[in-house]
Parts: sequence; C-alpha cells; structure tokens
Amino acid sequence: MWLIALKDLRIFVKDRAALFFFIIFPFMFILLFYFLNLGAATDERLTYYLVTSEAEGGLSHQIINLMETKNESQLKPGEPVFVVESNFDEAYQKVKDGQLSGFIAFPADFTERMTTGSGAQLEVVVDAGAGYDRAALNGIAAAIASQVGAEQIVIKASVSLLVEGGIIPPDEESINQATRQILAEITAEQSQTGGEPSFIGFDIERVGDIESGNPADYVIPGYLVMFVFFAAAVTAEAIVRERQNNTLERLLASSVNKSTILGGVYTGTAVRGLIQILIFWVAGILFFKVDLGQSPLAVIILSILMVIMSSAFAVMLATLVRTQRSAGSLARVTALILAPLGGCWWPLFILPEWLQTVAKISPHAWANTGFNKLMLFGADLGAVVPEMLALVVFTVIFGAIAIWRFRTSAV
Amino acid sequence: MAEDFLVATDLHKSFHDFKAVNGVSFSIAKGEIFGLLGPNGAGKTTTIRMLSTVLEADSGEIIIGGHSVRKKAESVRALIGVCPQELALYEDLSAMENLIFFGRMDGLNTRDARAQAEEYLKLMGLQDRAKGRVAKFSGGMKRRINLAIALMGNPQLVFMDEPTVGIDPQSRNRIYETIEGLQSKGMTILYTTHYMEEADRLCDRIAIMDGGKIIAMDTPRALKAQLGDSEKATLEDVFLNLTGRSLRD
Ligand SMILES: Nc1ncnc2c1ncn2[C@@H]1O[C@H](COP(=O)(O)OP(=O)(O)O)[C@@H](O)[C@H]1O
Ligand SMILES: [Mg+2]
Repeated sequence: MWLIALKDLRIFVKDRAALFFFIIFPFMFILLFYFLNLGAATDERLTYYLVTSEAEGGLSHQIINLMETKNESQLKPGEPVFVVESNFDEAYQKVKDGQLSGFIAFPADFTERMTTGSGAQLEVVVDAGAGYDRAALNGIAAAIASQVGAEQIVIKASVSLLVEGGIIPPDEESINQATRQILAEITAEQSQTGGEPSFIGFDIERVGDIESGNPADYVIPGYLVMFVFFAAAVTAEAIVRERQNNTLERLLASSVNKSTILGGVYTGTAVRGLIQILIFWVAGILFFKVDLGQSPLAVIILSILMVIMSSAFAVMLATLVRTQRSAGSLARVTALILAPLGGCWWPLFILPEWLQTVAKISPHAWANTGFNKLMLFGADLGAVVPEMLALVVFTVIFGAIAIWRFRTSAV
Repeated sequence: MAEDFLVATDLHKSFHDFKAVNGVSFSIAKGEIFGLLGPNGAGKTTTIRMLSTVLEADSGEIIIGGHSVRKKAESVRALIGVCPQELALYEDLSAMENLIFFGRMDGLNTRDARAQAEEYLKLMGLQDRAKGRVAKFSGGMKRRINLAIALMGNPQLVFMDEPTVGIDPQSRNRIYETIEGLQSKGMTILYTTHYMEEADRLCDRIAIMDGGKIIAMDTPRALKAQLGDSEKATLEDVFLNLTGRSLRD
C-alpha cells in the first residue's frame, strides 16, 4: 500500500505544474485576499444600536438622535447603521441571543458627567458569537467615540463659554437648550471635526470572546479548506488516469489485491494533503502571524480530518466518473462551488441564515465553522466536536461509496 | 507435449447484449507459445482479460497452473505476467522506476526487483535509458518497457496482447528474440496478434479467432496444409480463407 502511495507521490513531485498549483498558487490567493481583507475589515456595514439609560431630555438623547441613521441610502460605504433603542436590558438580551451584533450604551449620568467635565464612559457591547472580528469592532467603536467625543468637546467648550460669559444662565434647562442649538448647528454644517476621543472613552464588553483581529486568522483556514479539498479532488483525475492508462488493470493482475490498491491511492492523496496543511500552517504562522487560538491541537486535528475527508472525496469521485476529463472538471466545479458556499471566501456568519443552512451540505462549511470557532472565537477542542464529527461522517459516506463502486465496477 | 499449464473451457463474455467471447475453449502446454490470431474485435483481448483474472467470465472455467481463476485468483496472479495491448506504464516515472514498482507489486523485494529490472532492461536493449522518463521514449521503447514489466516477478505464464503493434522493425525484432529466449528458458506464452507472419514465426500452435469464437486451431504448418499446398500457402491465406468464409455464414 505504501509502495503505491509512494509511487503516486513520486509522480506528483515530478509534475512541476501540479507542484506549483499545489503550493505557490494557494499562497498567491491568500496574499491577495489577506490584503483585501485588511482593507475591508472596517468596511462592512454593521448595524449598531444606540441605547441610553438617561432620562428623557438628557444630552445623550440629543447625540443619539443625531447619530441615528435617518436614511440608510445616504450612508457612505463603510458607515454603520445606527438604530435607537431605549432599553439596555432588552438590547443586551438581543446581543446574547445573537439577534444583534452590538450596541453602544450611554450611562444614566451622561449629561451630568458631561456638564461637570468629569468625562463619560460609553459602553460598547458586542457579540463575539456573531463573528465580527475585533479589528472591525474596534475601528467602529473608536470612530463612534471620536465622532461623539469631538462633537462633545465642541459643545462642551461652547456651552461653558456661553455660561462663563453670562450669556446663558447656568441652570440645566438653559444648558440643554444651548447644547441642542449647537448640536443643530453642527448637523447643519455637517462638520466633521477630527480629533482624539479625549472626552468620551469607551469600554468594549464582549459577550463571548474575540481574541484576534488578524484577517489571516480566517483567510488562511478558508484557503486551507478550499485548497486541501481542491488539490485532493483534482487527484481524482490522476486516479482515473491510472485506470485509463491501464496501469490499474495491470495492478489488478499483479499480486496486490483491490483493497490494497484503493488504500494506496488513498494514502498517496492523503499524504499529499498532510504535507499541504503542514506548509499552510507553518507559512501561516511565520508570515501571517496566524493565531491558532486556545487549542492548536484542535486546529491540527480539524486540518487532518479535512485532509482525510477530501481524500475520500477524491477517491469516490474517481470511482464515479468514466473519463479523466470528467473527473477533472467535476473536481474543479465541485471544489469551486463548495468553497464559497462553505465559507472559504468569506466568513459563513455574514451569509443570510438560509444560506448558512444550505451551506451545511458542504464539508467546507463544517470545517470553516470549526476553524472560526477555534481561531476567532477562542473556542477549545470540546466546542468543535460537532464539526469534527461532521467531517468524519462525510468521510464515511464518501469512503463507503468509493469502496462500493470500486468493488462492483473496478475497471 | 508436457502437461497443460492453462486450460480454458467454454468461456463466454457479453457486454450488454454483445457477445464478445462466445464459447472459447483451448489449452496451452507448459513451455508452449500459443498464438491467438484474429482481426480486430475478434475477442482476443477480452479472452486475455478473463484469463488474467481482471475480468470475470460470464460462464466457463479457467485453470492456470492447477488453480481455478474463479476460486484462486490470488494464486493465479502469482504465476502470470501480462503485457497488455494498450501501454500500461507510468509516463512520469523512469523506465527503471516503472519496472521496480511493478516488480514490487508482484511481491519481489527491492533488491530482487532492481536486479530483475536491470536484467530485463538489458534484454530489451534499454539499459542506457534506465533513468529516462518514459514519457520521452519512442513508441518502440515504450512497447519494450511494457513487455519488460510483464516479465517482472518470475511469471511462469505470460500473456502478450499484440506486443508489437505499431512499432519499428528493430524494436519488433528485439521482442521476437526476447520471446524466443524466454521460451528456451521454459516460459509459457500466450501471444495475440493480427500479423500472420509473426504468428508463423513464433507460435507452436495457433487458434484463429473471429466473432468471439475459435474457428480453427492447429500448428501453423497444419493450418497451411489445409489449403493444400503447404509450401506456398501463407497463414494470411488461411486466415482470409477462414474469416472470409465465416463472414458468408
Ligand atoms: N468493456 C467493454 N465494453 C463493451 N464492449 C467491449 C468491451 N471490451 C470489448 N468490447 C467489445 O468486444 C469485442 C471484442 O473486443 P476485444 O476483445 O478487444 O477484441 P480484440 O482484442 O480481438 O481486438 C469488440 O467488439 C469490442 O468492441
Ligand atoms: Mg485486442
């Protein structure tokens, strides 16, 4: 069996084009998407809820009103949608239930703190489980804080000038009115004063855990899944070639039995896949600073299962088709449909719910979900057992079909 | 002659409704070169595939070296070597790698496989090209490798399915010499061809096959004698005579 595998590997190593496709090509893709994603990380349109615990008439209500998205179609690309919500607990629960990706809450004493100049703390609650990576969240939170902060500095400065100058009386109602006026002016001018969020800070409370904002943490696994599957599927072609160039028949007439031949072909494909994931992870860690998460072991196991599953798929495909060409095109088509569907090109969790459900028919989706859990959301091995089991089930199904076809139709 | 090494009895094989082999029986004595002669589509390759355990016969029995192909395929495989009609090589591997690989598949250890590979490459006049990639070889060279692989693993019976088809006279001659050399060492050979002069030169006995049936079986001399003037008649005449007649049936 090892001999057959070894022979296949030897043939493979001699095929320069395949080698290129196998190693270099995936990394060209990864590099491309890595940079695309770096740029795009904060460009997703997020919906943010604005929540205030303040009594009606407080400053935060003004700000919220200002920030609320009145007309979504006028948003610039990358600007989040802001929706006003009045109940903190309700919003919090929504985040917990995964209905909401996050919100910004203003404290009950917001106005007081603003007017006394002690500085207010915004609370940003985000759902790690919803999957927005931290880089994007940080960026948006910072943008909000800086925007609010900058406006507040202007307002605060203006209001205190007005008070000190005796232009308005130092009672709350007058200050509020002045603030409202200034805010209105700011809106009218559409002024975008830059500046550091010196006045209003923000805390991010993550419901769940997001450890990393490195796009490579989901770009690399996505491409690993895609290319491991792709490379394996394409070897179906080589297996069919073995049948077509009559060497399979020759092997059948030699002293090795059918199951050894099948095992050898499978092993050759799998070993190649293992080398591939090794290269992927080593390069990912060295060049892209990939973080394998809390449980690198789980990442490795998941990768290996992906290889085992893909190899089984390749052998099954080879036993199902007649010609080398149909094996090749079927392999490519399947790989290219399942990759985006299974979340190799974009995170699965940004897809609509129904598509996520459909995606579950692809082993890719399971593998990607597993990698995302491990590498983005800090899950440990126990949390990805369902994904691992799913890959095992796929392997068993593919393997059973392959063995059955090989028994009944061999040549 | 010696005892029969191969006995095939009433073999049948249909593909869908088409009877490719329709009641073929013959036997080959140990050390004999037996020719299976017939036009394209006669059923020669299908017969060989059944004999070499690759294709299951619909009915009939095959005994090789005392083992039933149906029941003891493993034992039969250890006795036979197959040189298929279509080249069966790994084009991306070298000649040497091909030979060693298939030798190992026949159960040889690495040392024996290497020794045999060297021996057969030399026999085929390819020792200088042992390390060359098969893909770069000429048709004749590939044919010779194809045959050399069949010889790996000390087979007692070798099936050669049109081993000389479409190659240069030098390669062809080398193959003839090889086959004659093998016979002198006691190897049993089943040889198919549609070249009459080839069968005439090599074979001890010939079965002429057409439409899935054996329509004549004898020594080349006896077959020619059927036409009367055995000196002038060629096997070609015999062949055309027989197959021509069967077309009229
Ligand atoms: N696997 C197959 N499926 C269908 N028909 C086949 C198959 N193999 C051979 N045949 C048919 O059986 C007949 C005999 O073929 P073959 O044994 O290859 O003849 P020969 O080797 O004498 O040229 C041909 O008509 C061929 O088309
Ligand atoms: Mg043939």
